[in-house]
Amino acid sequence: MRILRSEWTKLRSVRSIWITILSTVAAGTALSALGVSDLLGGSPADLPDPWDPTATSLKGFLFAQLLIGMLGALSITPEYATGMIGTSLSHVPARSRLLAAKATVITAIALVTSLVTALLSFTVVQALFAGADLPSAGLTDPGVPRALTSATLYLTLIALIGVAVGTLTRSTTGSLAVLVGGLLLVPAIAPGLPGGLGDWFGDYWPNTAGQAAYAVIRTEGMIAPGTGLAVLTLTALCIAAASHLAFRVRDI
Amino acid sequence: MDTGIRARGLTKRYGHRVAVDDLSFTVRPGLVTGFLGPNGAGKSTTMRMLLGLTRPTRGTITIGGRHITDLDDPAHTVGALLDARAVHPLRTASDHLLAYAQTAGLGRARVAEVLELVGLADAAGRRADEFSLGMHQRLGIATALLGDPGVLVLDEPLNGLDPEGIRWMRTLMRDLAGEGRTILFSSHLMSEMELTADNLIVVGHGRLLAESTLAEFVRANTTQAVTVRTEQPDLLSHALHRAGVPFERAPDASLLVTGTESGTVGRIAAAEGIPLDELTRVRESLEDVFLRFTHDDTDYEGRAA
Repeated sequence: MRILRSEWTKLRSVRSIWITILSTVAAGTALSALGVSDLLGGSPADLPDPWDPTATSLKGFLFAQLLIGMLGALSITPEYATGMIGTSLSHVPARSRLLAAKATVITAIALVTSLVTALLSFTVVQALFAGADLPSAGLTDPGVPRALTSATLYLTLIALIGVAVGTLTRSTTGSLAVLVGGLLLVPAIAPGLPGGLGDWFGDYWPNTAGQAAYAVIRTEGMIAPGTGLAVLTLTALCIAAASHLAFRVRDI
Repeated sequence: MDTGIRARGLTKRYGHRVAVDDLSFTVRPGLVTGFLGPNGAGKSTTMRMLLGLTRPTRGTITIGGRHITDLDDPAHTVGALLDARAVHPLRTASDHLLAYAQTAGLGRARVAEVLELVGLADAAGRRADEFSLGMHQRLGIATALLGDPGVLVLDEPLNGLDPEGIRWMRTLMRDLAGEGRTILFSSHLMSEMELTADNLIVVGHGRLLAESTLAEFVRANTTQAVTVRTEQPDLLSHALHRAGVPFERAPDASLLVTGTESGTVGRIAAAEGIPLDELTRVRESLEDVFLRFTHDDTDYEGRAA
């Protein structure tokens, strides 16, 4: 409890953390709205088939995931940049406990941030759809609560991956490079690889799979939402375990 | 609880380079122990191994017989200052301290106390990027003192302090040792040890060069010398020569007598009826002793251009 309180103090007392949180919510929502702008002028007949207004309302996650991943990384990388990690570990020599406290505090902050981002994106975009006389979804429609819960967990898991990546790279810029590569570049490019390899990346690359978790309407060939969330969760746990091991054995 | 620090066969290798080489020493409570050596001698690495930040290749370094990770309450047992700049530049001094106070189960009241103790009470709400190096050192000391620990490990604590700050830090270290705490502080400057340390651990190239009290170190490594000035240097020279006392004649006609007490020189002169204008005992400065002592062990020696 003492260490959790200490880690919370460290996070809340630096403005960049608050900026990252607000940016996640604001940029996530704004980009979700922007992402559907080309649909708003058309008629219902022009909509993709099948039409999933819920998943379509979370397009801003593409960028929000990067911000929340960096939020996770920022829980530890500045300590390496300043050398504070030495002070932190001389106060809390049990390394696993220190890392667990960081991960716990980030998980709590990320859960709230993700939930707000998901709800706000969903509400704003559904209002835009309704205003444009397009079929929209309600919060209590079948499948919607589950999708928004999965969307919240999706962003939270990315934040946790961010903590792990920050611990492994020990560098803010290094973390940014890894997250941009893993969250944006690979899912954008790798599905174009020939044959089964491209198909695998298209379905099972962890954050691509995770995005399947917040679909309400399942299209042909799409992996099941539960499978998608499981793939992302397993990935997060593996990277977290690797970072924990590295944090325990490496010299500071 | 026993708060002595004990290193046994402590060794750290980085590839082929040996940073710390089979180092054994003991740091006792109630005394200020100076950890002295040229830059690159392995002082910081040794302190980092003590704090569990760096893993020894071989050997152990313990506090009261236990490795730091085995302590019941580390935040109340050991306080450390490793790098005074290790502060997030955008965090205020009081938030920085609060985060570490909380690991020891303490709160804002203790933060205010240590800020007062190090003379930073007025700077509590200021961000670290506005701090001078001297203020950083004070903040670092405040961080180390938060848990009221029995053991303090301070890496170059006098660095960047102005003369007033240096005197303050010395007094603080002496007072803390006087309360029975174990104080280990490092420096590459012998002059910083002179007025502060009771005991010395001298290292070079990661090896132990000396472990003794400051006084013993000085006695064992300095030579006695006496400067004598008289209007009759030739008479005195003869007298000293007859008495078998070695001496040198300095260019200014004074004599430098080595290996003899000033009283002996005075008695020889008196017996011959030679009036003396000056009879001064000169001590080799500790800086000179240390430089000579570690000369062969200096890694990064400046070369004249």
